Amino acid sequence: MRGRTALLVLPGLAILLVAFLIPSIAMLFSPPGISPGEVFARLGRMLTDPYDQAIVVRTLGLGLIVTVVCIGLGYPIAYLLSRSTSRWAGVLLALAIFPLLLSSVVRTFGWLVVLGSQGAIPQLLLTLGLVDSAPQLLYTPLAIVLGLTQIFLPLAVVASYSALAQVDAGLDEAARGLGANRTRTFWSVVVPLSGPGVVVAATLVFAGAVTAYTTPYLLGGSRQRMLSTQLYTYSSTTIDWAAASATALIMTVLVFAVSGLSSLAARRGATS
Amino acid sequence: MTHAARFHGVSQVFGDFTAVDNIDLDIPDGKLTTLLGPSGCGKTTSLRMLAGYLAPTRGTISIAGVDSTRTPPERRNLGMVFQSYALFPHMSVADNVGFGLKMRRVPAADRARRVTESLELVGLAHLSASKPKKLSGGQQQRVALARAIAIRPKLLLLDEPLSNLDARLRIQMRAEIRRIQAETGLAVVLVTHDQDEALEMSDEMVLMKDGRIQQQGTPQAVFPAPANRFVAEFLGYENFLTDAGGATTTIRPEHLALSVSERTPAAETGAVLPGVVLDVAYRGVDVLVTVASADVSGARVELLADLRAESAPDLTPGADVWVHVPATHLVPLAAD
Amino acid sequence: MRTRHPIAASLAVGGYVVMLVPILFVVVTAFTAGSTLRFPPDGFSLRWFEAALTYEPFTSSLLSSLMLAAISAVLALALGVPVALAVHRGALPGRSVVEGLFLSPLIVPELVVGLALYQQLMVGFGLDNFQTLLLGHTVLMFPYAVRVTGASLALIDPAVEDAARGLGASPGRTFLSVTLPLLRPGLFSAALLSFITSFNNVPLSLLLQSRDFRTLPVVMLDYVQQNYDPIVAAISVLILAGTVLVAVIAERTVGFARVFGGINR
Ligand SMILES: Nc1ncnc2c1ncn2[C@@H]1O[C@H](COP(=O)(O)OP(=O)(O)OP(=O)(O)O)[C@@H](O)[C@H]1O
Ligand SMILES: [Mg+2]
Repeated sequence: MRGRTALLVLPGLAILLVAFLIPSIAMLFSPPGISPGEVFARLGRMLTDPYDQAIVVRTLGLGLIVTVVCIGLGYPIAYLLSRSTSRWAGVLLALAIFPLLLSSVVRTFGWLVVLGSQGAIPQLLLTLGLVDSAPQLLYTPLAIVLGLTQIFLPLAVVASYSALAQVDAGLDEAARGLGANRTRTFWSVVVPLSGPGVVVAATLVFAGAVTAYTTPYLLGGSRQRMLSTQLYTYSSTTIDWAAASATALIMTVLVFAVSGLSSLAARRGATS
Repeated sequence: MTHAARFHGVSQVFGDFTAVDNIDLDIPDGKLTTLLGPSGCGKTTSLRMLAGYLAPTRGTISIAGVDSTRTPPERRNLGMVFQSYALFPHMSVADNVGFGLKMRRVPAADRARRVTESLELVGLAHLSASKPKKLSGGQQQRVALARAIAIRPKLLLLDEPLSNLDARLRIQMRAEIRRIQAETGLAVVLVTHDQDEALEMSDEMVLMKDGRIQQQGTPQAVFPAPANRFVAEFLGYENFLTDAGGATTTIRPEHLALSVSERTPAAETGAVLPGVVLDVAYRGVDVLVTVASADVSGARVELLADLRAESAPDLTPGADVWVHVPATHLVPLAAD
Repeated sequence: MRTRHPIAASLAVGGYVVMLVPILFVVVTAFTAGSTLRFPPDGFSLRWFEAALTYEPFTSSLLSSLMLAAISAVLALALGVPVALAVHRGALPGRSVVEGLFLSPLIVPELVVGLALYQQLMVGFGLDNFQTLLLGHTVLMFPYAVRVTGASLALIDPAVEDAARGLGASPGRTFLSVTLPLLRPGLFSAALLSFITSFNNVPLSLLLQSRDFRTLPVVMLDYVQQNYDPIVAAISVLILAGTVLVAVIAERTVGFARVFGGINR
């Protein structure tokens, strides 16, 4: 019985090892033609170099802003949809999920059309006479934040929605019945109960935002470098394996640290 | 007496928990045997070992005289009805019932005939094209029964077949299962935790507790003579008294009589104990009276008397009464 | 919808604008008669659709993307479903560890996976880029194959499989005639999710590209960087139409929110 069960797992496990686990670990210790340890030496230099530091700080900062914006917009959407009895709620939920299926290249391309110098917003501002010449909106932190928000907002909505759907709407009514007004009920019943789900949503958004490539590449360009675009440059343009691996390590540690913190927070929340 | 199946020193150990503890059990042929006991006592585990879904940790199981301990379920030829019915949701009723025949490569024409026969036996021939989800709980239960019977099994196993039905249907299905058992002459093992069900349906009943068999016999043999306190409690003996020799005896609530005036009609021989009424519960046909008393050894006991409503004395809590304990109905118990 | 939550409602409207309005602009721009991405567009024409459909790099990379997505989805299911079975039905020691391993590609950044495979398998080991892409995409789909089919496996009453065995079906026969049919919605969901995820993937496909085999999103990224004309808007609208089609298929079969939202209403 055990032997047969192991047989089911083995082929998949072999592929997982060969095409994921082993290469991911080998990348840290022996990129092609590089002596072991060089990746870590390079990592040390990166962490003290102001240019690289700026990239890490920008990545972290934009990641945080995007996370806050996504939760700030996504939670209200999820809240309204989860408490709505309208038949439109299903359609609106589908509209919020649908972008998840659509290529991020297509979605980000939309911002080129909207923010580009001949695009809708600059042209609108010109037509209204609010500016003299088309403002530069592309390749700014604002463009990246907008683009990443568009990409990750659906995720925030879906994750918050699952959390909120589990909070019995009857509890809202119970709280109202006990004399709490609508605002009090929201903050003292709905938010605490859906909190752990929101932490999960925020973690997903943050991890996605600090590792996304398409959006920073198209909307940030070489003026707003982030870890992801930097990693690609190292690996494909300058072919600097040590630097590429070190960047990958920073990215991975960042994501793991945030996931670890959030599951710690979730466990705290569960025990308190 | 021939045996449909036999457990020989069978144990089932999960980790460090013994769910079934060294049981020896004979399942008589052509009769309905119930496994009765409280939740977690190992009834389902025993049934699953018999059906071949679980290999015993120790011991052997033989079916129709052949050691089948290591035989996989598909080669045991037993019919099993699961508590959840476990109908195949993607197949019609007829395909469900015909599944076992298909596995046995019964030709299509024969198969159709036998499916119809089985469905007729449970009175559902008209629903053969329906999907299980469309049926009521009682109907699903009958389909499960028909499916198990269609393969003409050596033994029919039913795991709490009635527990998901409402009270009326449950009573009705008891008779139905008895009728099917009689018509087919199958040996049936039925698991239940309901003593009324077991008493009403069994030819043979097996009482279990903590993975061990406590008592086995016909309802007529077991009911008046429970072997120990566990069996007595399980069968509804509420009153436990220590006699002058220090042994434990028990008596059913309907065998106690109460009187208000001192020691009057002591029609039968036995003890008459003084007591105080604690509670009176009127139930239409009868009245349940709880009395605080002391038995002949002097120990404080609470006794429950079940009196016929029309002949019961008018009692209120706090009233002094005499409890008559007829010696003929006292059952001596072995220690647990 | 009228609402008693004005603040939440205005935030929600803002959210929908950010999510959807840029897509609307792409659609509008794709029908322009002019040759720039100017807004408002200069007239109406279908010329950019014609251009997109005859532009060889788009068409050949579209085929590449479809092929890669299809093969890797099938591979991921073929390898991942047995794992789900072992985890949910088998006597597997350390099942949560095994499940965790197969879900782990979800937490490592895709760009990092891409770099690792590029370095180690393509450059280091000498695999060609199609083989590496196939391996990489398959691994990336494992979490869907294992978790989605696992979730629907968990919904199947194991007694149903026991019943089939008791009625005389061998374990293999039980799987084929009972488990597999009941698993079909889960398999379908997993396949759709895998396919879409592979088709849209940028990080792996970008790092593992070669002149001979590139996927559509990578070619589009490249094109946008070099040129500024509405042909990308046109191909985007075609992708949008294909995606809507997939969503409709999902809704008609298993239910859209169940497949893509992980939401069981
Ligand atoms: N696979 C298993 N692993 C560990 N423990 C188990 C397993 N199956 C059953 N048990 C334990 O064995 C004991 C007996 O279980 P079993 O299902 O046989 O009880 P039962 O008499 O059928 O009870 P019920 O009336 O609740 O169905 C229970 O305590 C149960 O928790
Ligand atoms: Mg049971």
